[in-house]
Amino acid sequence: MAANTTTPRPVFPGRLREAAPDRRRQYRRRARIADILVTSLWGSGAAAAALFLATGGAAKFGTVADAVTSTGIIAGLIGTDFILVMIVLAARIPVIDRTVGHDRAIAVHRALGKPALYLLLGHALLLLTGYGLSSGINPLAEIGPLLAIPDMPLAFIGLGLLIVVVITSLVAVRRRFSYEGWHLVHLLSYCAVLVAVPHQLSVGGILSNGSIERVYWIALYVLAFGSIATYRFIEPIVSTLRHGMRVDRIENVASGVVSIHFSGRNLRSLESAGGQFFVWRFWTGRTWWHSHPISLSSVPTGSAARITVRDLGSGSGAISEVRPGTRVSFEGPYGMFTDAGRTAPKLAIVVAGIGITPVRAFLEDSRVQPGETTILLRASTMEETYLWDEIADLARKKGASLYKMVGKRALSGPGWMPQADASRGVTLQSIFPDLRDSDLYICGPTAWLDLVETDARRAGMAEHQLHTERFDW
Amino acid sequence: MRTRATLSGIFASVAILVVGWQAGSAAITAVHSSSGTTGPTSASTARAASPAPTPAAPAAPAPPVAPAAPGASGGSFTGSSVSTRYGSVQVQVVVANGKITDVMALHLTDAGGRSVQISNSAAPVLRSEVLSSQSARVSTVGGATYTSDAYLTSLQSALDQAGL
Repeated sequence: MAANTTTPRPVFPGRLREAAPDRRRQYRRRARIADILVTSLWGSGAAAAALFLATGGAAKFGTVADAVTSTGIIAGLIGTDFILVMIVLAARIPVIDRTVGHDRAIAVHRALGKPALYLLLGHALLLLTGYGLSSGINPLAEIGPLLAIPDMPLAFIGLGLLIVVVITSLVAVRRRFSYEGWHLVHLLSYCAVLVAVPHQLSVGGILSNGSIERVYWIALYVLAFGSIATYRFIEPIVSTLRHGMRVDRIENVASGVVSIHFSGRNLRSLESAGGQFFVWRFWTGRTWWHSHPISLSSVPTGSAARITVRDLGSGSGAISEVRPGTRVSFEGPYGMFTDAGRTAPKLAIVVAGIGITPVRAFLEDSRVQPGETTILLRASTMEETYLWDEIADLARKKGASLYKMVGKRALSGPGWMPQADASRGVTLQSIFPDLRDSDLYICGPTAWLDLVETDARRAGMAEHQLHTERFDW
Repeated sequence: MRTRATLSGIFASVAILVVGWQAGSAAITAVHSSSGTTGPTSASTARAASPAPTPAAPAAPAPPVAPAAPGASGGSFTGSSVSTRYGSVQVQVVVANGKITDVMALHLTDAGGRSVQISNSAAPVLRSEVLSSQSARVSTVGGATYTSDAYLTSLQSALDQAGL
């Protein structure tokens, strides 16, 4: 290559590369960061057990009582580590949201909930048994002496709170609560974790004063609670104050659907990519306690932003009635339903009903070549074709092909399309011939979306090619 | 990609556990070798290594220490400080007319609240057994093996000084 240094670089291929970002390379980079995150998740669990080994724990398995006690201590360390990891995952840390996405982070958070509780319950039961065995009394009678140790009553309270938190988060139980009620109970987990700290530092001897183990353990707590404080409280408050957003006007889009236009300062510096959502709060007496995760339905200008919502449920019904001038606070932007999430050279979009809103902003923001994009719009009735005219305009500008399907879901064939189309043998592949080389962005009601997703997997698409945003109302 | 993440996660976990285990074995070896030198067979060297009694743990019963007066007839004799992984143990024995009249714990195992609880329940049992048997050859207290062993080791070194 040294001989070529004097010849000028060919201009045309260079410019082409600039215009069409290398999606696969971007994806590999994100995947590497995601791998590091997963590795550190594993590593933190191992490190918790290693703390026990580092204080000579390997030798504490000689007798049955010792083995039970040691297992109990390890369970407590790993269980607490899991809880701290869960807090980190719920903190909406930007690097996590950008690499794996908030919804997957929350899925891991949920998956860790029960194991963490079992480990901590096991911690309590094993230690009662182990202590009981070594002093020759039954485990239940051991509760008394254990409570006599300083800081232990608090630890028992923490365990009780944790049981309440996990039970209220079980799917069956959670349905009985309003989101706000459930969230209030869920906040108790912070108390549960904090009241357990004193006994960890004072009872066991592993995290004894001045040890490296203690420093590490406290650092974990600082990391977990620091990220919650930073990204769930400080950053949203600062951002809300800086941009001073208010409701500007409310526009009726269709029956039961409104666009809410906001005014604010410097909205471009929010750096929200098209397709991302914010968690909104409208500060009126009736609506302030209810938060709404809603996508922007267009890319914000310097002083204006827009969301489009469908009036279902008491919460979203109330926000379509707020007066212009109402102050709005927000957290965000969040989500991976964006151009940055792309992994493949082609782009396929399937969207239904009010799910159109993030797609509308995503399309506006996406850097695509003519011919790269194919869009399928889906609605049950002609009344539900919200923003379709705007999508048609954008499709023309971006050189995208546009298909439309209107009608109730089919009872046979691919259930996500109307009966007429299903009957004449339309498939995902016939609409999107380049499906295997595409990113498929799907947005709509959960039940419908699941059908499209299953179909796409059956067509041989890889997980990283599927991008979904579920609308559950 | 998931496989790669899982594999590197497992690899990292094993590495961390091995490092922790190695660090732990090093700590155990250190404790054993130091408690070895403070054993009854070489009590004099141990005494030289730790001449000053360690300050008593707040929870351990520790009356003011009378200065040790060497001699076979009587007086107070401070045993060597014996380290265990739950903290060090040191006792003082009071001898009058060739008989053990009292044993005081200057420091007991205290690494954590649980350890303090064990020490505090084991020490009175050990003291009364030592007083009745007039020697350090008594059985260990169940559930307090480390504390008992270290207690009796320290006691034996004190008795050696007293010439009993």
